[in-house]
Amino acid sequence: MLKKTAINKISELAAVLMEKGTLLAPVKEAAGFNFREISDAGQVNLHFHNTIISPKSAFFPQMEDFVRYQTGKSILEAAPVELNLKPVFLFGVRPCDVKSFEIMDIHFSGTGAVDPYWKKRREAATIFGHAFDLNEAADPAEFYHTLGIGAADPQGSDIFMVTKDNDLLFKSITPKGKKLLEELTMLTEASAGDRKYFEDYIARGHDYKTRFASVEPKAIATEFESIFDNREFWKNVSNACLSCGVCTFVCPTCYCFDICDETLFNKGTRRRVWDACMFTDFTLEASGHNPRTNVYQRLRQKICHKYSFSIRKYGVISCVGCGRCTRYCPVNIDIFSIVEQAVKAKWYKRL
Amino acid sequence: MTSSFKSIEENLKAEAGKLLESGRVEIVLAYGRGYDENHPMPFVAKHPSDVANMVFNEYCIHNLARYLVRYPRGTKIAVAVKAADCRAVIQLIQEEKIKRDDVVFLGIPVYGMKNPKTGEIIDSKTTCGMYNPVLYDVLLGEEVHGQKIVSPYDVLADYEAMDKEARWAFWKKEFDRCIRCYACRKACPMCYCDPCFIDQSKPRWGDKSPQSHGNLMYHLTRFHHLAGRCIDCGECSRACPVDIPLYLFHKKVAKECEEMFGQAAGMSIDDKPALVNFRVDDSDKILE
Amino acid sequence: MTNKNPYIPMPVKISRIIDEVDTHDIKTFRFEFLNKEDEAGFKYLPGQFGELSIYGKGESPIGIASSPTQKGYVEFTVQRAGAVVPGMVTSALHEMEEGALMGIRGPLGKSWPLEYLEGKNIVIVGGGFAFTTLRSLINYMIYGKNRERFGSITIIYGARNPGLLLYKDELIEWGKRTDLNLNVTVDKADAAWKGREGFVPAVCKEVAPGKENAVAVICGPPVMIRFTLPVFFDLGFSKANIITSLEMRMKCGIGKCGRCNVGSKYVCTDGPVFSLAELDNLTQEY
Repeated sequence: MLKKTAINKISELAAVLMEKGTLLAPVKEAAGFNFREISDAGQVNLHFHNTIISPKSAFFPQMEDFVRYQTGKSILEAAPVELNLKPVFLFGVRPCDVKSFEIMDIHFSGTGAVDPYWKKRREAATIFGHAFDLNEAADPAEFYHTLGIGAADPQGSDIFMVTKDNDLLFKSITPKGKKLLEELTMLTEASAGDRKYFEDYIARGHDYKTRFASVEPKAIATEFESIFDNREFWKNVSNACLSCGVCTFVCPTCYCFDICDETLFNKGTRRRVWDACMFTDFTLEASGHNPRTNVYQRLRQKICHKYSFSIRKYGVISCVGCGRCTRYCPVNIDIFSIVEQAVKAKWYKRL
Repeated sequence: MTSSFKSIEENLKAEAGKLLESGRVEIVLAYGRGYDENHPMPFVAKHPSDVANMVFNEYCIHNLARYLVRYPRGTKIAVAVKAADCRAVIQLIQEEKIKRDDVVFLGIPVYGMKNPKTGEIIDSKTTCGMYNPVLYDVLLGEEVHGQKIVSPYDVLADYEAMDKEARWAFWKKEFDRCIRCYACRKACPMCYCDPCFIDQSKPRWGDKSPQSHGNLMYHLTRFHHLAGRCIDCGECSRACPVDIPLYLFHKKVAKECEEMFGQAAGMSIDDKPALVNFRVDDSDKILE
Repeated sequence: MTNKNPYIPMPVKISRIIDEVDTHDIKTFRFEFLNKEDEAGFKYLPGQFGELSIYGKGESPIGIASSPTQKGYVEFTVQRAGAVVPGMVTSALHEMEEGALMGIRGPLGKSWPLEYLEGKNIVIVGGGFAFTTLRSLINYMIYGKNRERFGSITIIYGARNPGLLLYKDELIEWGKRTDLNLNVTVDKADAAWKGREGFVPAVCKEVAPGKENAVAVICGPPVMIRFTLPVFFDLGFSKANIITSLEMRMKCGIGKCGRCNVGSKYVCTDGPVFSLAELDNLTQEY
């Protein structure tokens, strides 16, 4: 099913979705765009390339409250925080970010214990994917092509959106998306021309080039295993690294978290909060022992986690090439270049 | 006439090569190629052959003083410094984190540096606005003269026009956006505490979650830890992924310190840090 | 959601506290579940661990010290941690009294490989505080008919001095059994000590358990492990037949939070029990 609306009527669609549930969409903020819960239909702004923080926060918010408690009172009085979610519409997600949900699903709900928060939030959501603008140059930091993701891949979205001149085209991809699209009566039927445009656009998405390197998961995992102990390589690529948490916080596939009891006066909440393997104290044990005291060990952990460990554990590279880590790194460390260096000649071997 | 970026780059390569070749230093902290021309990176040269990979252009904004404390004490290091960066090295010497004899200042007189994120020229709005390093062993270009001198505190006019309540509301709003990635403290050349107070677990000074009270605790404490020490390089604000104008607070504190103690941070290796040094005629304003 | 939510601890009552050592910084806590279904659901095997949970303080992963053959309760032996990072949970726990309520999550992690151990001669080597899950294993193996499932059982357990030995009453009971070869040693004896004196590696050398059909299960402080392993290599034990338990900073305990990641493994779910052969395949970051 293909429907459409004029882009300048997007706030009308937003208003309908807000009535049906919670709408999360790109909003322009001081430093750029971010997905936010929309409180005013006029806030939705699709004139964005991509958001600063990835949309993972829709399913894995930086803070997730587990339990409210009062100190000095019995555990029996502690109250688990129940997630009672209205339907969530996650609007305007780029194809590479949609792909990240699939990777995170393997970790949070597809393997071992099921994370109830991720699962519930995921189930409550309908995803409106949105093709990149193929007439606009790719951001220099991006490399989703390397990960086999096209600029207009509809897979993983419930509804996929393509811009055509002054219109926005909507195609249902899943039954969930189809059902919703049928309910959105303010959208009009698309023409045969629109349908052709849509299909052509999806196909053209594969020709749209970002940075590219030929990366085969098993081979790259082996490559990183073979250089894991090469300290010179890792020290070289991490010389500039500040060991801050920007790259992991903006990343759509970083999932590390801490569980914190945060108490103010006697009232407290046990919650999970994003954490980062780049932080010095991430692996600091109570004994004082810290297996990763050096910056190079932490950067190595982050990169090998994505391009080696994840392949061995889950069978996938846990990176979608969105380029956020590179774009927001204060010192321009670029994961793509590091992967390229690892694949290419062993330039770092000094004789 | 001032030197072009290209000539500074050539001088940088030549001087770095000589220093490494002669064994005068073990390490040169400079700039190297990044993933494209607009994104050069801090770079560490250890061998004369590394020098070929150095670059210098208008996007080489990083304050390399940040990396000095990473190396064992006594390591001989040459560091490429623009005006504010140079003041950071001086401040580190004042604070006895490094020794003057262990560091070679490769001074870069320059103006017109650009923020690659915004394309804007970096000037006295977000930094100290100086053009020439106050101290150097080698100067990699001609000193900049004739450029407009703007006080780094001019940008405070709007902020200072706000009353107490308005300022509180301003910062509360700004800090509510903080995601606690700690890029500000990690980019800061003067933030070398290990562990940082905010990471301590007993006592726990602030919550880890990015909420108002923890964010305020972190930023306000950090601001005050940097009182009289911040050299106004603006790295914290440029590192911030959500563009919190941290420089405003640092400038305000720096201005007050300068007025009270007659001394700006990192201007002379003979100074003592303003808040460490007790003088009988020190201002009592802080106690009023 | 509450019942199945793996992040929400089950309420337990501290029914007994045993002050184990002269320095009073190691105590064994016996917990009884408040809900019968929680007790029924807490099916564990020796070597697994639980997260001890105190709201306002946090959680701490601790090996289970009791054996599943001991019905109606679970025990954890806890050292007040915090040489460098103050242990919020363990300090709070040490302040608690019998009858107090708190929380447990678990059982978590992999157990000692009981199926693999069956029919084999078992050599248990423990040092100091790290004897807790070995105690669980011993009590499991010697319980009733379980004993028949294993070959000879040799135990070498050492502490710095007699006052620091854990489970003193049980050591006496085990010593009376003829189907156990128990060797308790102290680094430094006192006037009342009548047993062995000597470091664990030296005692291992002396006892010299045979490698035939044997598996060594070793837990102790890093320095003990470092000097004990060569003894077992000399005795001819293969890396696949030396098993240990890793310590790593953990939070969630269920393989989600990423903290205890070592290479492609999570210590909390893929371990904490590993053979040396498995550890050789891990990146050396633990």
